[in-house]
This record gives sequence, structure tokens and C-alpha cells, in this order.
Amino acid sequence: MKVSRLTRYGLRTVALVYLFVLLIVPVGTIFYRSFEHGIVQFWEWITTPAAISALQLSLLIVVIVVPLNVIFGVITALALARGRFPGKGLLQAVVDLPFAVSPVVAGVALILLWGYGGWFGGIESLGFRIIFGFPGLVLATLFVTLPFVAREVEPVLREIGTEQEEAAATLGASSWQVFWRVTLPAIRWGLTYGIVLTVARALGEYGAVTMVSSNFPGVSQTLTLLVNSRYTDDYNEFGAYAAATLLMFVAILVLVAMSLIERRAKSRLAEASESTSGEVEIVEPELTPPHGPESVDAKQIVHSHAHPKEGE
Amino acid sequence: MSIKVIGANKRYGDFAALDDVSIDIPDGQLTSLLGPSGSGKSTLLRAIAGLDTLDSGTVIINDTDVSKKSPQKRDIGFVFQHYAAFKHLTVRENIAFGLKIRKRPKKEVDAKVDQLLEVVGLTVFQKRFPAQLSGGQRQRMALARALAVDPKVLLLDEPFGALDAKVRDDLRRWLRRLHDEVHVTTVLVTHDQQEALDVSDRIAVLNKGRIEQVGTPDDLYDRPANEFVASFLGSTVRLNGELVRPHDIRIGRTPEMASPTTDPNLDVGIIRATVQRVVNLGFETRVELVSASTGEEFAAQITRGDQNALNLQPGETVYARATKVAALDGV
Repeated sequence: MKVSRLTRYGLRTVALVYLFVLLIVPVGTIFYRSFEHGIVQFWEWITTPAAISALQLSLLIVVIVVPLNVIFGVITALALARGRFPGKGLLQAVVDLPFAVSPVVAGVALILLWGYGGWFGGIESLGFRIIFGFPGLVLATLFVTLPFVAREVEPVLREIGTEQEEAAATLGASSWQVFWRVTLPAIRWGLTYGIVLTVARALGEYGAVTMVSSNFPGVSQTLTLLVNSRYTDDYNEFGAYAAATLLMFVAILVLVAMSLIERRAKSRLAEASESTSGEVEIVEPELTPPHGPESVDAKQIVHSHAHPKEGE
Repeated sequence: MSIKVIGANKRYGDFAALDDVSIDIPDGQLTSLLGPSGSGKSTLLRAIAGLDTLDSGTVIINDTDVSKKSPQKRDIGFVFQHYAAFKHLTVRENIAFGLKIRKRPKKEVDAKVDQLLEVVGLTVFQKRFPAQLSGGQRQRMALARALAVDPKVLLLDEPFGALDAKVRDDLRRWLRRLHDEVHVTTVLVTHDQQEALDVSDRIAVLNKGRIEQVGTPDDLYDRPANEFVASFLGSTVRLNGELVRPHDIRIGRTPEMASPTTDPNLDVGIIRATVQRVVNLGFETRVELVSASTGEEFAAQITRGDQNALNLQPGETVYARATKVAALDGV
């Protein structure tokens, strides 16, 4: 479709201005304010004991939440895409629940369930602290990040269908081998994207986490909570900016790592096509039938291949 | 390695995909399962492979009852209509898949894969990914992948259905030659009667979940068991109530010209008809006619040479006569 020059540039301008105002300006401001007093000041703000332990806590949550959600998410996606069982519609809805429910509500629900006097509150009397402790943070983060992997993987599973898996089965692969060698490689991009989203959300979650956190620095204060606490409680504006920048760095690091993995896999594909596209003059050989079943005897071939090597 | 299916039943809700089907597939032959879509041919093949489970019935491969066995344990090679290529693996890795699963020594795998790459003519493409191959190449790769594990039986589910006409022709001729060399018991599912006639030793015609007839291509074409088989293996027309193949109709401008045969058994009478349309289809010509007495429409196939000699024109009155009637078995 031909679009007039005015419309074309008009649309581009609108899109760019929109992006600039809503995304670039706020992020840029934070960067600017973080480094306003120089990199040394920035470094000091992000290396305070509270900041370091907040970073560690955030990363620890990610390290626990991501594997759990990958396992659960892939199983759920398989059930939703392949399974036929009663209550499938219910499962569909339940998986989306964390998207629909406000994180704060999720936090409240966790307190009601695990907190003092809650259904599972008895655990607390055993000296195992859930709410206002680390387990509560993990539970809250798990809740809000639960749909990402399942929802990213499910459509990929539907798209690839079951033929590749059936082919692998007829070739002798067990269910476990089919999963590792065929299914998992086929869904890897959906899975990667699901992980990226999970990591980003786990790092940035505020609403649910703030409800179940004691917000004590070094105990149950995540990096996101630290940003908020420095800003609103300590009136430490620049400290908050510095922590926010650190948070962004971690998130960007994850994105970069993921896209590097992706690029490596893609270059493998590109290499393969280059190695053949370079030789344009490849003429497909005439199809020739094989020479009888005797040539199918692998031992013979191995033998004839083995001999010249021994001679060398 | 013969295959035997006894009393196979499979229902999807109210729909009977297989209705008490029994068939013997002899060792070393290429048997086609031919039928329209929904006739149960693919279901039967998938049941033999173990990819679909039967509601009831027995599948016996090489004298062993495999009805309860998983596809992994049935020693089969299966080729899918849409190739089912492992997209993340190269051509070489695809073909080696079954051997690697079986943990064969690397040397043996390499030798076997090299040999198969040559057989299917993909040696120069071995480092490519399936997405970089044409449909015909992908299907050849899938065939090599299935053959790599030395299956007892080779099962092909409309293997050429997704390919264009020229490639399909080449591949099916190549498949036939391959079969003549390897002699692995092969079952081919197809809805294309030309394909079935071209490659098969035996054809089983299926319709509505039942087997209508099993036999050699000539048996089925010349001695169809019923009208369905007759019409599915080629076109048929009714001439004075008899089922006739269009190429068995002789046309002449006078009654005598139309009746050179003297076999009284084949006397279905001479029909006066009007030419409606003459279509040249390459080496043959289709003449569409209307019977003068009954008003029935029918078509006759004559050779291009005959048409050149006769030079039939629409509107002309001619005489038609069947030289051979499709003898329905048991009629």
C-alpha cells in the first residue's frame, strides 16, 4: 500500500514522540539524577550494606522463582495445549488469575493464609516465619509471575503440533527423550521469553511483596522495596535513584544475556545456510535407488571405513 | 515381515473411523490404502504404528501381537504428510536421530547416515536445516530418517500429498524403485488413485471405515467388487444401465462404425447420442454426449488420433457402444 509522504512522516513522529515522552524521558531522568553527583557518589549509594543485601535478596528470589515457574509453567502449558481432562477450562482461568487480581490483593490473601491466625498460620508458631520473612517474599513473587512461562509456551506448543513428537516416538525415543530432544528445543524461544518476563517481574514486583515484607533492610527488603523506602521514608532522593539505576542494570543484563543466547542460536542457523548458499552451483544429484538390503548391513560399512584409517 | 489387522474398531463419538476392519499385508510388498478423506485409511495406518489406539482389534506385525505395545517397541518407520522434520536439527542430525536414540557407536551412525544421504540424494544438503529445504527434499529426508533404524515395516501417511504434481510424480517413481531394491514391507496411505495404481503391488480400497476390496491394481480396475471401487479407481459412466469406463466407449458416425466387436456378451446396444462438447486433454479427448432416447448425459474418452480422424463437432449425432463392461464381482 502506498502511503503519502505526509502521513508516513506524521505517523513516525507521533510514534517517536510517544515513546520519547513516556519511556525515554523518565528513564533518562533517573539515569541523569543517579550520576548527577558523580560516579563515586553513585557507587557509594549502591554499595551500602542495605543496598547489597537488597540486591542479593532480589537475585535470590529470582533464582528460586524462575526454576519453579519454568517447571510448573511447562507442565501447565503441556496440559493446556495437549491434555484432555475435566476442568481444563477452570485451569485456563486459574492460570490467568494473577493477571486479573491486583498484586496487593494477592499480598493480603497470603497474609490471611500464612499470617498469624491464618489457615496455615500454625507454621509460624513452630518458629518458621512465612509472612514478613523471606518465604513470604518468594510466595508473593511466585504468585504474580505464575502465568508468564505457561502463557508464552502454550501457543508455541499448539503451533508445533504433535507430529514431530510422534515421529520421534516411532524412531524409538522414550517420552522423556522426546521431551528433551524434540519438545524442549521446539519451545525454547517461547520459554526464553517467558523467563525474561518472569525475571523482570520478579525484580520489579512491588505491590504483593510490600504487603508481606517487614521491609527491614538486610532481612526482607528487596531492591524494589529499597528504592521506595529510600524515597519515601528516608527522603534520600539520590540514593533511591542510584538503587533504581542498579535495578535497571540487572534487568538489562538479563535481557542482554537472553538476546546473546538467541543470537548464538540464530547464527548457527545462518552459518548452515551460508555454507551451502556459497556454492550456488550445487546441482541436485539424480535420485538413485540404494543397492539392495545388503548395503544396509552397517557392520560391513564400518569395517570398510575402519580399514583405511588403520593403514594411515 | 507381514502385517495383520484383525477386527479393528475405532470410533470418534458417533463417527466410525474403522468399522470391523481386517486386512493381511504380505511380507515385502508395497500395499496402498486408498480411499476418500474420512474413509479411515489414515486411522488404520496410525493404528498399525501405535500412534492411535484401537477401541478393539488386534495388530500383528511379524507374527507378534503388538496391539498393546507403544510405537517405540513396534519396529516401524513412519513418514508423515507434513514431513514432521525436527526443525532444530540439521538434515544429518535428523537422519541420525533414531540411531543416536539406540546409542549405536558413532562410526556405525556416520556410515549409515552417509549411505542414506546418498540414497535420498541429500549429501550436499546435510548441514542444512529443514527450513532450508524444498518440500520434496524434506520428505526424502524424512524417508531416510525412517529407514535409518532398519524398520520391519515402513508406513507412509500420504507422503506426497503436500507436494506439487511434478515432484510428486518423481518421488513416487523413486519410491517404487527404492522399494524394489530394499523390499521392506511398505504400507502407503493415499487418496490419489493414480498414485496407488502407479506404485502398489496391492491396493486396499476403504470407504466409510470399511474395506471395500483388496487386490492387485489390475484386479481392482478390471474386476471391481462394487460400484464404489469402480468409480474410485477411475471414472465411470452409465450406458443403458451398465457401468462402463469412458475409454471403453466406441464412437462412430454410423451404427456399423460403432460396433466392430462381435462379442455378443458385451451387447449393451448401440446408443444414438448428440455431441455436446469436445475437450482435448493432451493425448486424449473427452467427448460429452447426451443419449437421444433417455436424455442421459455421459462422457466418452477417445484418443487424440481418433478425434483427428472423426473431427467430431458439438451438435452432431453419433452412435456410441460399450466395448467392455466393468464386470462387478459377484454381480
